[in-house]
Amino acid sequence: MQPDTSKPKSPPSADPVADFMITEEPYYRSSGQEIALFEAAYAVGIPIMLKGPTGCGKTRFVEHMASRLGRPLITVSCHEDMTASDLVGRYLLDADGTQWHDGPLTLAVRLGAICYLDEIVEARQDTTVVIHSLTDDRRILPLEKKNEVLKAHPDFRVVISYNPGYQSVLKDLKESTKQRFAAIGFSYPEASIEAEIVATEARVDRRVADTLVRIGQRSRNLRGHGLDEGASTRMLVHAAMLVSRGISIEDACQMAIVLPITDDTDVRAALTAAISACI
Amino acid sequence: MVNAPEIMLPSDWDERWKAAHRRIDQAGYGETVAAAYRRIGPDLARAAGSEVVLKLGRTVSDVAIRCDRRTAALLPDVALAAELKLSGGAALIEWLATIEAVARSAPKSVAGLLDKSSCLLAVLDIEGFRSFVRMGIAIARRNPERQIAFFSLEDAEAQQYLQRGSGVEVFHTIQLQMKHYLAAIWGIRPPVREVPPDAPEPMRRRCGFGGGGIRVPPAFSGSSAGESNRLYQAALAHIGAHHRFTRRQFPVGSLKPLQVAVISLVEDARVERLAMREMPGLGRLWLPFHVAKPEDPPVALALLGRLSRALIYPDYQDPHGWVTKGKKLFEDAAESDLTDQTLSRRIGGLLGNDLGQMRVQFDSRSYVVQPAYRDDNLGIWDLSEQPPEEQLVLEEMVEGVGVKQQKRDDGKPDEQNSEPDPDQRVSHVALTASDDTETTTARYSEYDYVTGRERPQWCTVREYPAPYGRTEPIRRFEEVRCELSERLSTLFRSSKISRAEKIRRQAEGEFLDIDACIEAAISRRIGDVGKFRVHGRYERRGRDLSVLILLDISQSTADPVRGQAGTVLDVQRLSAALLAKALSVVGDPFAVAAFCSDTRDDIRYFRIKDFERSYDELARSRLAGLESKLSTRLGAAIRHAGEDLRKRKSYRRLLLVITDGEPSDVDMDDDRYLVEDARVAVQHLNRHGIDTFCVALDGAARSCADRVFGKRGTATMSSVDHLPIQLPKIFYKLTR
Repeated sequence: MQPDTSKPKSPPSADPVADFMITEEPYYRSSGQEIALFEAAYAVGIPIMLKGPTGCGKTRFVEHMASRLGRPLITVSCHEDMTASDLVGRYLLDADGTQWHDGPLTLAVRLGAICYLDEIVEARQDTTVVIHSLTDDRRILPLEKKNEVLKAHPDFRVVISYNPGYQSVLKDLKESTKQRFAAIGFSYPEASIEAEIVATEARVDRRVADTLVRIGQRSRNLRGHGLDEGASTRMLVHAAMLVSRGISIEDACQMAIVLPITDDTDVRAALTAAISACI
Repeated sequence: MVNAPEIMLPSDWDERWKAAHRRIDQAGYGETVAAAYRRIGPDLARAAGSEVVLKLGRTVSDVAIRCDRRTAALLPDVALAAELKLSGGAALIEWLATIEAVARSAPKSVAGLLDKSSCLLAVLDIEGFRSFVRMGIAIARRNPERQIAFFSLEDAEAQQYLQRGSGVEVFHTIQLQMKHYLAAIWGIRPPVREVPPDAPEPMRRRCGFGGGGIRVPPAFSGSSAGESNRLYQAALAHIGAHHRFTRRQFPVGSLKPLQVAVISLVEDARVERLAMREMPGLGRLWLPFHVAKPEDPPVALALLGRLSRALIYPDYQDPHGWVTKGKKLFEDAAESDLTDQTLSRRIGGLLGNDLGQMRVQFDSRSYVVQPAYRDDNLGIWDLSEQPPEEQLVLEEMVEGVGVKQQKRDDGKPDEQNSEPDPDQRVSHVALTASDDTETTTARYSEYDYVTGRERPQWCTVREYPAPYGRTEPIRRFEEVRCELSERLSTLFRSSKISRAEKIRRQAEGEFLDIDACIEAAISRRIGDVGKFRVHGRYERRGRDLSVLILLDISQSTADPVRGQAGTVLDVQRLSAALLAKALSVVGDPFAVAAFCSDTRDDIRYFRIKDFERSYDELARSRLAGLESKLSTRLGAAIRHAGEDLRKRKSYRRLLLVITDGEPSDVDMDDDRYLVEDARVAVQHLNRHGIDTFCVALDGAARSCADRVFGKRGTATMSSVDHLPIQLPKIFYKLTR
């Protein structure tokens, strides 16, 4: 092992763990067994995969669980150009020479945080393999550049999220990656729970929330037939927030749901008419 | 000699006018023709200019010579009427030229066309009128009787053309939108089809459902575009409400037509009330169509309309005792349990009896459900146990039981939402396609190059089970020519048909890989041996391709290939077998299908192998069982195959058509028509990101294939040995 000889430029945070702690417990309305399942998997150290459509509450759930378990949370939004160095860390140049900077994954490994890789299929497969050594019984992270092998903190956990709707021949997880995880399936909550979420999040009247959830369900009927996805809970919350600012439900739905979700004129017209039917 | 009336026009005009009508006077067409021209000429000149009148003179002569005097005598008056509809003299000259064209091509049809000219020009502009005439001339070149009917607007297709040209919102233009709407609000996707143009008139006025689908009128005549759109929405929302809330069909038993009508009305109100509880906005959609008023006369039709309005509109006050009673009964029932379907039967039966005793007139044969958005209610009645004569009356009343709905593959209906009924004797109201063994049917539009428009839902493609044949010859051929299929496999493998990926950290390339540059610089600074692979490039690495091989098995494929043993079909069969073998080896998804046609109503499509299935003995057996027969309606087959390919999620999707000649069919005289349609079908697929390529097995067919698929989308071959030579051309097209 070679000690880190780099000289930090800026003083490190007094308590790096505190930077990633979620101090206020985020609102999350459970609609099934997911909390118990997560806690069990966390307790025994199994990496967790959250599967479900966009905007149904996966990220909020992770934040909620991190806060509930009192662990720091480090979130990485994956993208196509992300490299292994973006996750692990790299030497950077400055006036005095070179300095090692931990990547978010390395930081989580050191601090015992939950590392949340959001939309992992967006990353290339040669990038995602860096988590393999952390997601089996080895629980190590080799830092080749530093000639160092980092042993994971006992509280370190990996959580990934994954939208099955985006899968294609070209974008999918390697079988060897998939099989390291235990998965919790998410879908949009049932109507009454979803309305409760919308009403609480956007601070609107329950009747408004009920109407918006009805509209959301109508849009989900078009999934796979004109729409890739129906309106997510997030979209409904956005529409409700607009309503809370005095915008009519119809206009709010146009702005927060119809226009963002589709460019197809037929689908747009059908969706607009369906919204009108629900109000 | 009759003197022509003096008119107030420029002096040179006077001379020319006299000369013009003198020509007609002296031509021997008879006094009626000459008088008509003299009478109309001056008015027309003042209205549309002098040139029009001179042109009219020539057209009158033309019509008198080619058709008959009576028709020529009609022409001036019709021309004056046409002037009122058309804007300006230039358009009227065009109109006259069009009449001359009909006189030349279809002289017997001119009288009918003149008779309907006002009717046509009421909805068509001059361009639309000319299109209509071109269509009439082309459609029935060898069928004078049909041509006469067409120009007299007695032909269903002519009427449909007029309807489409009328600017009224017609269903086919908003079909997709309406299907999405129905799916969104009720979560169902049954096939929705237009009532055919030759269906009886009453059936063309209302929507209906049953037998696995919904039928809608092609247009709601007399409504503006916006109204039509709302009507279709209202109708589909209403039918969806039946689907959700009418759990069982009502047995007709011994009910009278009037009782059936009233029970249907109450059931309509019940399902709408339930639907509005779920979606209050539907009330705003349906209410405006209820326009019955208390002052309407107390005849059956009006009373039914008033009751409908009373049941949907809480504030509607109607003094009539029968309407008040109906409203009270319904509201009382609604307070207890509206989901109970028997209340419609009970309340409707009572009200029907009352109406019968009031001796109001009710003609079941002319009865059409009101308001216009409500369906004919055929779908909610079980007519199976009726004595035939009773059934006939009811069928006539609810219109159109004869329309057989067929399963289509353009949208599979969802599962029934309703729970299974414990009483198995009653049949469900179903919008789901019945699971029968009938051939799956799809309808596609066809492009008419004469009018430059698509004829919607014009062709019917039916999928037939492919016959089986002996697989032995195909197997033996695959073994004997294994080197050929290996060559093809190698070609497929070596083709890079996929998205270009960024390859980083290369020793050379098209761009600098910034991350690699930084790392290289850092490596140098920390005294490491530098890694100077700092370039990157774009490269197609894999292959992400779906292929559908479509074989033309028309009668002409029974001909021998020039200079070869075996028929065209043999070459096609073996080519398909080799390609299938090669694609199986490399593991690319592919499908094989074949087609032939017997008029536009029966394009036969045979699935040899689907994408999901492996190329096995079954597929070989189907391939071996193909026989040459019938004709080649290529456009419809391309559209149908395109639907399959559209569902594939590959980076490139290829339709590979193997054919021996140009499109043709027995119901088409015009050789160019089907070629142009196939060309449009190919363009349509290309627009949707599907590549098309044609292998023509006859050099003579090359020009036609070029026209349909484009020069770069066509290759010619006469033997399977040419396949490895032609394949790279296809890959070249796909990697452009």
